Amino acid sequence: MSSLLPAVAEQLFRDIQRTYRDTSHIPDDLLIALKFVFGPCALQALDLVDQRSVTCLSSPSGRKAFQVIGASGRLYTCFVSCHYCPCPAFAYTVLRRNEGLLCKHILAAYLCQAMGVTQQESVSDQQMSLLLSGTAAP
Amino acid sequence: MTDILNLVFRTFASHAELRDSPPPPVPRSSALLLGENSVSRSVLLLAAVTAASHPGLRVVFFTRTLIRSLPASLQKLVPSPESLKKIQFCYPRTVEELLQQVAALHESPSTSPPSLIIVDGLEGFLFGSRGGSHRELHPGGQSCAAHLSALLCDTAAFLTRVLEQRSSSSGPCRIIASFQSEVDAGQASREPSASDPILDILDRYFQVRCTLDPDGGYEAAAAGLQQVWHVYLSGRGVTEASRSKDGGDGPAVAREWKLWIFPNGLMEFKVV
Repeated sequence: MSSLLPAVAEQLFRDIQRTYRDTSHIPDDLLIALKFVFGPCALQALDLVDQRSVTCLSSPSGRKAFQVIGASGRLYTCFVSCHYCPCPAFAYTVLRRNEGLLCKHILAAYLCQAMGVTQQESVSDQQMSLLLSGTAAP
Repeated sequence: MTDILNLVFRTFASHAELRDSPPPPVPRSSALLLGENSVSRSVLLLAAVTAASHPGLRVVFFTRTLIRSLPASLQKLVPSPESLKKIQFCYPRTVEELLQQVAALHESPSTSPPSLIIVDGLEGFLFGSRGGSHRELHPGGQSCAAHLSALLCDTAAFLTRVLEQRSSSSGPCRIIASFQSEVDAGQASREPSASDPILDILDRYFQVRCTLDPDGGYEAAAAGLQQVWHVYLSGRGVTEASRSKDGGDGPAVAREWKLWIFPNGLMEFKVV
């Protein structure tokens, strides 16, 4: 297993991006494909997208990261160029059991990017370092 | 990173014609050195000095163990004080400190970003002082390994963009890390199907695996006081490199090498 998206998933996000740009809507066939590729976390990710839970953080150095508000209100920091999430589902379902490609937080980040509904926020370089290393206060 | 490793192997090769032949092109990759940590460490140091001897390339070397001397083989390369200054040695004591130091690499835009990030002895950071013949995989172990690996990859991707924006020839930024698997440490009792759960995680993030195996063949036995190691490159990064060469069957990238370590510490590589 890789920490990058398989080609079928990349194509799916491109299709969602194109369709959403034209119609502001994700059609049923793409939703079904999403569920097929990503399994149970697809619906949970769509809930997070509806709630606009994903923020792209940027710092003056140009470094970026995603911050996702989970269902419990907890903040999860995810990377922009490879897959990692500090949530228990990622640790168990993806890493230990190898049963899922992503968790709902990473999937929500991809979907928000594809649909152009990611919030934007600036942080300082030092804050960014704390967030990336997982040592920032929750 | 396959091309730096290939460059190291060629630079310290035993045949002059191999040293002068151009290395085959390989894609940008992160590489994991797998094997006994004393040998891996020497290879990492060779990689650091080889990279630093190129103009414009900076190296950051993370390790828990103080570096008291450089491998004897470097007498061949004779690193200049200027090139040695381009290697920044950092000594984080814990995995948390390592995470903080890697995460902070983006913070200094005025200095040139490193083109090579080396992490010596991932197992030491991940298992701490509990390392040794019996390691307990605590519940957070896999997640911690994934976090560290992902941070390294994301940092390399970011620094690659910075280097490319500066139109420097110092890009891309690559990662080489070393890991001694628990499965390797207990060779006598190793089951063929045993897998290391941490290694499974690292394989997700590192495209190339460079395995250093002690050579148990006749040649090794006849070598006497020299140590002989079998070095082979595998993984997605190597397969893609072979596929991207036009035409022809078989690997275009040299995948197998032999490493001799002499009693005086000199190291020599030879293509198999």
